[in-house]
Amino acid sequence: MTRGRIATIAVVVLLAFEPVLSPFIHVDVTIASAALLFAIAAMSANLLLGYTGLPPFGNAAFFGLGAYGAALSLKYWHVEFATAAVLGTALAVLGALVLGPFLLRRRGIYFGLLSIAFGQVFYFIAYRFTDVTGGEDGMNFSRPFLLVPSLRLRETAFYYLALVVFVAAILAFEAIVRSPFGKTLIAIKQNELRVRYLGLDSNRFVFVAIVISAAFAGLSGALTGMLNNSVGPLMLDWHQSGDFVLSTILGGSGTIWGPLVGSIIFVVGRDIISSYTQEGWQIILGALFVACVIFFPRGILGTALQLFAAKRHG
Amino acid sequence: MLEHGAVAPQLFNGLVLGAFYAIVAIGLSLIMNLTGTINMAHGSFMTLAGYLAYAMVSRGTSFWFALLVAPIIALIVAVVIERTLIRRLYGRDPVYSLLLTFGLSLIAEGIYHKVFTANSVPFSPPPALAGTVALGFMNFPAYRLFIVFVLVVVFVLLALFLNYTRFGLRLRAAVQDTEMITALGTNTQVLYAINFGLGILLAGIAGVLASGLLGLNPTSGNTLLMPAFVTVIICGMGSLYGSLVGGLLIGVAQSLMTLFIPPASEVVMYVLMAVVLTIRPRGLFGEEGVFG
Amino acid sequence: MAEASAVPMLEARDVSKSFGGVQACSDVSLTVREGTIHAVIGPNGAGKTTFFNSLSGFYLPERGSVWFAGRDITRAPNWRRIELGMGRTFQTPSIFPELSVRENVALGVRSKRNLAFRIRPASAEPQRKLDARVDELLGFVNLGASAERPVAELSHGAQRLCEIAMSLSTEPRLVLLDEPMAGLAETETDRIMSVIRGLHDSLGLTVLFVEHNMRVVLSLAERITVLDRGRVLAEGSPSEIAANEAVRDAYLGREVLEHV
Repeated sequence: MTRGRIATIAVVVLLAFEPVLSPFIHVDVTIASAALLFAIAAMSANLLLGYTGLPPFGNAAFFGLGAYGAALSLKYWHVEFATAAVLGTALAVLGALVLGPFLLRRRGIYFGLLSIAFGQVFYFIAYRFTDVTGGEDGMNFSRPFLLVPSLRLRETAFYYLALVVFVAAILAFEAIVRSPFGKTLIAIKQNELRVRYLGLDSNRFVFVAIVISAAFAGLSGALTGMLNNSVGPLMLDWHQSGDFVLSTILGGSGTIWGPLVGSIIFVVGRDIISSYTQEGWQIILGALFVACVIFFPRGILGTALQLFAAKRHG
Repeated sequence: MLEHGAVAPQLFNGLVLGAFYAIVAIGLSLIMNLTGTINMAHGSFMTLAGYLAYAMVSRGTSFWFALLVAPIIALIVAVVIERTLIRRLYGRDPVYSLLLTFGLSLIAEGIYHKVFTANSVPFSPPPALAGTVALGFMNFPAYRLFIVFVLVVVFVLLALFLNYTRFGLRLRAAVQDTEMITALGTNTQVLYAINFGLGILLAGIAGVLASGLLGLNPTSGNTLLMPAFVTVIICGMGSLYGSLVGGLLIGVAQSLMTLFIPPASEVVMYVLMAVVLTIRPRGLFGEEGVFG
Repeated sequence: MAEASAVPMLEARDVSKSFGGVQACSDVSLTVREGTIHAVIGPNGAGKTTFFNSLSGFYLPERGSVWFAGRDITRAPNWRRIELGMGRTFQTPSIFPELSVRENVALGVRSKRNLAFRIRPASAEPQRKLDARVDELLGFVNLGASAERPVAELSHGAQRLCEIAMSLSTEPRLVLLDEPMAGLAETETDRIMSVIRGLHDSLGLTVLFVEHNMRVVLSLAERITVLDRGRVLAEGSPSEIAANEAVRDAYLGREVLEHV
C-alpha cells in the first residue's frame, strides 16, 4: 500500500468520526455534509482550473442545474432520493453538452468571460420562469426517501451518504487525472499548441473535461439541494462559481485534496462568521479572496506539497 | 399605429441602455486587453461613483458638479487599488486577478451595505432634467436624452484622445500589441495605471448617470456588468467602435424583447452571443485566429 | 540525381498570406520531394516563418493550396496534419516545461497509438511497449540520461532535442524544423546537425527546414529555396544557389561571404 493510500484512508476515517466529534468541535453535521458536497463542486472547478488551465467561472450553472434537476423531478415525478440525484446530474451533463461547444471556442481570460456569461443564462431562466422554478423564491420540498420508503435520511445518515459519495467522487477524480486522459489535460494546461502539434484535437479533450466537470458539479448541486430541502436561483449565480474557484485555490488548485481543504475552511468559516454578521461575512470573504490571491496563490496544500518536495530534494 | 407607438420609445430606451453597455464595455476591454485583467469590480466602481454623487447631492452640491467630480474620485480610488493590489498580479494566470477583483467587489458591496443599507437610495436627476422633451414624433424623458448627449460627448472625447494625443496613441498601440510597449520606451507601469484609471473614469460616469435612471443600491452596478461582458465577447476586445455597435445592439435587442417576450429579455443577449460565437469565434470585430 | 517518387511529399501552390495589409508571402510555390532535406532561406522579413506556418497549419493561407503526399491539406487543422504524418518544431522549443522529458515524448506516442483519450490506465504490456518506444526515441536524440528530469531544467539545446524527439513520437514521414539552430551555441549546433542528418539517413524521413545559419544550410540541404520579400527568388542545389547572381545580390552577398 502506498503512502498516498494510507493518507486517504486516514482522512476518510477521520471524516467518519465527525458526527461523534460534532458536539466538541462545534461543527454541525449538516454543515459538515454541506462542506463535503461543496468539495465535490470545488473538485469540478479544480478539474478545469488546476488540470486543464481554464478559469471555470460558470460551474455554478452546472451545480444549479443539478439542484433544479433534482427539485423538478421531485416536484413533477415524485421520485426517490437516488433517482432525483441521478436526474439532477443528468440535467447538468445535458447543460454541459449544450454549452460546451460554445465554451471551448476560447481559452484563457476569454474562457473565464464566456463561462461567466453563459453560466448566467440559467440564472435568468430560473429567475424568470416562476411557474416552473419558483422564481426568486426557488423551490421548497421535503426530503425524499432513499430507494425504499422506510429509508428516511436524517441529518447523520445524510452525512454518511455524503461521505460515501464524496469518497467515490475523489477516487474517481484521482483516477481521471492520473489516467492518460488526465495527463493529456495537464499537457493542454501547459502548452495546448504542442498538444495539437502532437496530433490531438485538444477541443475534444477540453469538451470532455467540461462534461466531466459538469457531472461533478451537478451531483454536488443535486445533493446540496436535497440537504437543504430547497433550491434557489442563487445556486446558479456566478458568485457561487467564484466561491468554488476560491475554495479550490485556497486549498490548492491542481492538487487532489486541495478542494476538500478549501471547502471545509470556506463552508465552516461562512457558517461561523455569518451567524454573527451578514455583511461582515461578505467583507471577510472578499478579504479572503484578496489575501489568498496575493499571499497564498498555491493554496494551503499546494504550498505544503512544495515545501515537502523542497525538503526531500535537500 | 399602436404598435408603432410602443416600438419607437422602446427602441430609444434600448439605445440609452446600449450606450451604457458600450461605455462600460470599452472600459472593461481597455483594462482586459492591456493587462489581461477581467475586472469583476467594475460594477462596484460604478456604484461607488453613484454613491459619491448621491452623497454630494444630498449635502447640497449641484448634480452637475457631482457628475464631474464623483467619477474622478472613483478614478483616484481605482488607481490606488491598481497600484497597491492588482499590479502584483500582472503576468500571472488571469484567474488570480479575476478572483482579486471579485474579492474587491464583495468588500465594496459589504461596505455599501453597512453605510447605505441594502435598500435603494433616492437619487433623482435635477429638476432641469425632469419632464419630457417633444421630439416631434414622440415625447421622450429629458434625462434620457441628457444621458445620450453625455455618453456621445464622452465617446467622442475618448476617440479623440486615443487617436490624436501622443499618450492616447501609445495606449492604443500598447493595447493592440503588448510587446510594443517596451519598444515604445514608455513607462509601462504608468501606462497600466492610467489605462485602469481611464476605464474606471468611464465606468464612474456611467455609474452616476445610471443611478438616476436605474436606481442605486449596493449591487446596482452589477446589472450593467453582465451585458458589458457580453458586449466584449460579441465584439472582440480592444475595438472602440466594435464596443459601441455591440452595446447598442444588445440594448436594443433587450428593449424590443421586453415588448414582445418579456421573460426572454435577459436571455436574448446570450442567444446573440451564441450566434456570434458560432459564426465568428473571435467576435464580430476580432482578429482572425491562428489556432487552425 | 535519383528519380523522385511521382507524388511529392509536400507541395505548396501559390501560397499567399498578409497581415493587416502587409503581404508577408505572395504566390510562394515549393515542392519537397520524398526523402530529401530541403531548406528555406532568405533575409529577415522574407516571409519564411509565415510561409512555414502556412504549411504546418498555424495560419490559414488567403490564397493557394498546400498538398501533403497528394492530399489537399490547405484547410486541415494542425492536429490533423500531424495525424497524416507531419511533425514540426518551433523557433522557441514548444514543450511541456513542467513535465519530465519522458512524459513530454510519451504524450506523442500515446497520441499515435490512440491511447491519449483513455480514462483507464494502460495495462502492463502496452505500458511496457510505450516505455520502450519512448526510450528508443530518447536514445535517438541522446537524452536517455535526462529522461526523468523536467524539461524546464534542461539547456536550450537539450530542449530542442527533446522537441525533435516529440515531433518524431507521432511517427511522421515529413519533419518541419523552424530555425532549429536559433539561439544555440556552436557546439550544440553540431549536435543538432548530426541528429537532423540522422532523421534523413537512418530514419529515412523527409526534412524541410528554415535556417539562418548558412554553414548548416549548405552542409545539410540537398535543395534550397530562397525567399525574398515574400516571393520565391530562386531554387536549386546548394552549389546552384551559391552561384546564383540574384541570390548573391539579395542575400548571400551580405551574409554568406562574411561568414563562410
